[in-house]
Amino acid sequence: MSTQTGSLASRFVWNFRHNPKRELWFAWWVIVVFYQLYGLLFFVVTRVQPPPSPGWDTPTVVQWFGDHHLGILAGFGVVFLITGMTAPINALLAYSMRRMSVSPIFGYSYLIIYSLSAVPGMLVMAIAMTVGALRPDRDPALIQWLYDFAFLSFSGTMGVFMIGSLVWMAAVLIDKNRVFPKWFGYLNLCNALTEVVVAPAWIFRRGVFAWNGAIAWWINMVVFVVYTAVFIVLLRKMIEREDFGTGELPDLPPKAQRKQSSSVGAVQ
Amino acid sequence: MTNLDTGTPPEQAERKPVRFIPGQPDMWAFVLFETLVFTSYFVVYLISRTQNRELYLQSQADLDLRFGVFNTVMLLFSSWAVARCVQASREGAYRDALRDAFLTIFFGVAFLVSKVLEWITEIRIGNTFTSNEFFQHYFFLTSIHCVHLLIGFVVLGVVVYQLWSPARRSQQLVETCATYWHTVDFLWVLIFALLYVVR
Repeated sequence: MSTQTGSLASRFVWNFRHNPKRELWFAWWVIVVFYQLYGLLFFVVTRVQPPPSPGWDTPTVVQWFGDHHLGILAGFGVVFLITGMTAPINALLAYSMRRMSVSPIFGYSYLIIYSLSAVPGMLVMAIAMTVGALRPDRDPALIQWLYDFAFLSFSGTMGVFMIGSLVWMAAVLIDKNRVFPKWFGYLNLCNALTEVVVAPAWIFRRGVFAWNGAIAWWINMVVFVVYTAVFIVLLRKMIEREDFGTGELPDLPPKAQRKQSSSVGAVQ
Repeated sequence: MTNLDTGTPPEQAERKPVRFIPGQPDMWAFVLFETLVFTSYFVVYLISRTQNRELYLQSQADLDLRFGVFNTVMLLFSSWAVARCVQASREGAYRDALRDAFLTIFFGVAFLVSKVLEWITEIRIGNTFTSNEFFQHYFFLTSIHCVHLLIGFVVLGVVVYQLWSPARRSQQLVETCATYWHTVDFLWVLIFALLYVVR
């Protein structure tokens, strides 16, 4: 078949036109690219992660904005462009739940709640940060106000992520179609529980529970990164196993067989 | 689900020493991961402690060891009860298993009540979440553990639901839930040691 013999470009074109899983793969690749960009923009370009201290006085905060002026403006400029990528991501995550034997309520709840998390978690923070950086001669008190507003809005997504994880957990545990392994359901619970731990960031300005603290930020972030890496891999497996039926999701055939009929040919 | 559903007779299990994991192996992934997360909380606590030993020792003196010991004993009893519940359920003695499940809930509630009373006592003498570093850790660790305990009540509810009707009675689920409950106990013993005993 042409899919196995053609060049990389012709195989890509064939997949683009005929592969019934093309939308799923598209959404999956959006997840991969999005999280790469997210890491790059938040950790390297804008330097808002790991977060600076909530305990700083006003001159230090103004100084921080001055030092990161260009990074914040350029980085968040790109963030505004890519926030929309969360749409296919959330769609694929909801799709995984629609493929389960559970009520559609799970998928819909997840879709809505994670769509909401992009607003405070990315957009509000990006707006507050760029407003703070735009005019370096602004009243320092206002700059500090924007600084607090930005980081608290970022931490403020925790409850949304917590409920989202619990919805996914319940769906995975109840599901009879074996879309995800049960341990992933329990991992969702672990993630939800570390979201709870961010709550003290609303009270403390220094120490391990502040928004940059060892417990409220570092441990939480490590768990979130592990959780995200795990669900990206599991979503890939789900797409590979997808048969577009409504019953149990079939297992993949052994590797030797899969090589013979490339991922595309097998679908037909 | 698995062959466990039919309930393997104990003598048969003894004759064939196969590798046996109680409940869903998936739950053990949770136990491992949650233990790692708690270990990191403990490491943070111990590091903070070395930086301000005086304060931690003074604050620890405000804790009532009797509450800590009572709580630990209650959870150990609850673990014992849930272990008996699994044993009874394996042998098909579902009435006994149900009684043991309720006994587990009873000890869990005793722990919860005593925990809340302890919090009230501490707050009354002026030790709150924001008082000092030690009490930040104290209230944080005990609260996050308490959240696990509350989830544990939901989990025990699943056990009762499974044991209630002959139509369900999945041994695998009962054992999975028991594993969760043991984790709640296990984590508490570590918290007890770190907050009350370590000097």
